Amino acid sequence: MSAAIHNHGSSLKPAYPRAIVLSLASDFGCQLQLSNIADLLDVLGTIKLEYWQLMSSAVLPADYDIAIIEGAVTTQDHIELLQQVRTVAQTIIAIGSCAITGGVPALAAQDLGKHVQAVYSDDADRVAAGRVRPAPISNYVAVDYLVAGCPIDPREFVTVLQGALLGVRQRQQREPLCAQCKTMEAPCFYSIRAAQDIADGMATPQALCLGLVTRTGCGALCITRGRPCTGCRGIAADANLSSARTFIANEGLDVDDFDDALRIYSSHALDDGGEEQ
Amino acid sequence: MIYKIIEKWALEDLFEGLRANYDEVVGPQPSKGHGGPALVFDKLTNFNDLRLDYDTTILPPKKYFLNPDERILRFNRSTGDVFDTEPVQISRAIFGMHPCDINALLLLDQIFLGDYVDPYYQAARKSTFIIGTSCMPSPGHICNAFGSDEVHRGFDLFLTDLGDRYFLSCATVPAAELVDKYLDAREPVAADISDFQARTRQFKAAFKYLPQMDQLPLLYGAKYEDEDLWNQIGDDCLSCGACSMVCPVCHCFDVRDKLDANGETGLRHRVWDSCNFSEFAEVAHDYNFRPTHTSRVRYRFFHKFVGNFTRNGKMLCVGCSRCNRACKVGITPARVIRALQEDANANVGAETPDSADTVSAKKDCA
Repeated sequence: MSAAIHNHGSSLKPAYPRAIVLSLASDFGCQLQLSNIADLLDVLGTIKLEYWQLMSSAVLPADYDIAIIEGAVTTQDHIELLQQVRTVAQTIIAIGSCAITGGVPALAAQDLGKHVQAVYSDDADRVAAGRVRPAPISNYVAVDYLVAGCPIDPREFVTVLQGALLGVRQRQQREPLCAQCKTMEAPCFYSIRAAQDIADGMATPQALCLGLVTRTGCGALCITRGRPCTGCRGIAADANLSSARTFIANEGLDVDDFDDALRIYSSHALDDGGEEQ
Repeated sequence: MIYKIIEKWALEDLFEGLRANYDEVVGPQPSKGHGGPALVFDKLTNFNDLRLDYDTTILPPKKYFLNPDERILRFNRSTGDVFDTEPVQISRAIFGMHPCDINALLLLDQIFLGDYVDPYYQAARKSTFIIGTSCMPSPGHICNAFGSDEVHRGFDLFLTDLGDRYFLSCATVPAAELVDKYLDAREPVAADISDFQARTRQFKAAFKYLPQMDQLPLLYGAKYEDEDLWNQIGDDCLSCGACSMVCPVCHCFDVRDKLDANGETGLRHRVWDSCNFSEFAEVAHDYNFRPTHTSRVRYRFFHKFVGNFTRNGKMLCVGCSRCNRACKVGITPARVIRALQEDANANVGAETPDSADTVSAKKDCA
């Protein structure tokens, strides 16, 4: 389920590898997170940042070493841009759920024509020209490194970038979130929901926590703050969806609700053959 | 061992005595987290937060001896300098450890204070004062199967609840001094001993289920290749590793380097790991010697029931039930033991050792 691994093992040659930041279909939230890196200046000291539309009006250079890409593929232009970038960049880092799983944009992939019609009416072909089924970027080019999340955690991005600069292979944590949640000692949303506990405000009824099958690595950020996991990091490579669905049914919850909740970030994987990615 | 009797109200004096002598006093208390109701070991600032009659906690006190994220050294890539991190010297009193958790600590001692002494574990062990407390088995607790329902060492002080008073066992000099200085304690008399015995009988009788342990290590080996048996369990496994995290005996770790933002200096971390993670058994050239849910879950229990048993004579399970609660799909030690003991060729209709445990495993699936 994780994106194909393109190249590894050789560190980037220039002393200060040239990096660009690109955005496809997204809300720019992950780019904004890049600007939220606490030690941004230290990080910028390790690369030569040549293009970042959100921050500068510089034009896309012809040559660079690292492409940091946010957003899902939704147009033919995106595909062409990605293919061009792949021929130039030695390393591609995909950031955020849109780029990695298709994220929210991929929700429109089923019945795309109907959605476009509903939004743009008869003007669709002019306004949304060249549209393609929304998909993660790994559908079109090989991706070397991933930073999951919606939005990404800037600290995790720094760690991944450092790995890219050193040419080391990215760690592939494939298990779902539960272990991290236990380590944080966060009470489980699926704990015994006795009626009295719910009445006493001690338990939340019908909490649908997607941590059961979601890619780990966030440190149980939401759960420790009182919110069930929404699955923003995508489905874990080792997730056991069928067993998780059985559990959900045994809990008296609706399996369709569970799948619908998963679709917010993982519709491509669930409905569009994303398992092959 | 010195034995004493204290009235229940005197417990707060003990708490104050501990506070005066240790940097930190921790004990079971309601979690401040947001999910379902749960108890955790945490720092006690208010005596009234302490729940000595607790059932279990999310994490065992293992977390105080094996830090989930131990920073073991700092390094500099350019200069090649390495600075070992000294173990943190904080004196801590743990209030209210159950016999299972103390027995688990004795198992960890075999591992971390054995042939290779781990300085972090050793430092924490030396600077920790342990007050054990008696308990009553809840459904799902199978400490009786592993002999960990009783504990005779590994604590400083042990409190046995006799209803209106505690029967104190002082195992160490600091414990005796603490009792002497802070508690209005008296010598036990015949009636106290009699109540202690009655309490023990009541405790032993409260176990509704004893897993059939006969020849378990041998059976495990013999049925290791039984695909049907293991697939039934492995197909359920979520591979989440929650069981390992909450286990008081699981102790595997991973070592990871994390660079600072400058890319030059960094820290080496030792973090909790689980053999249920597929990354755990992955080696060079992407080869994974336990690639499936089934192979991993089978290995985990093999290590618990056979691996350490044949080496040290102890199974790496104390029957505390934490994994029963952490596992969403009911993969419990009792289920694995039952599956192993089941005889495929036995007469149909033969009674299977089923019990409250099965029911509780489902209910507690939390």
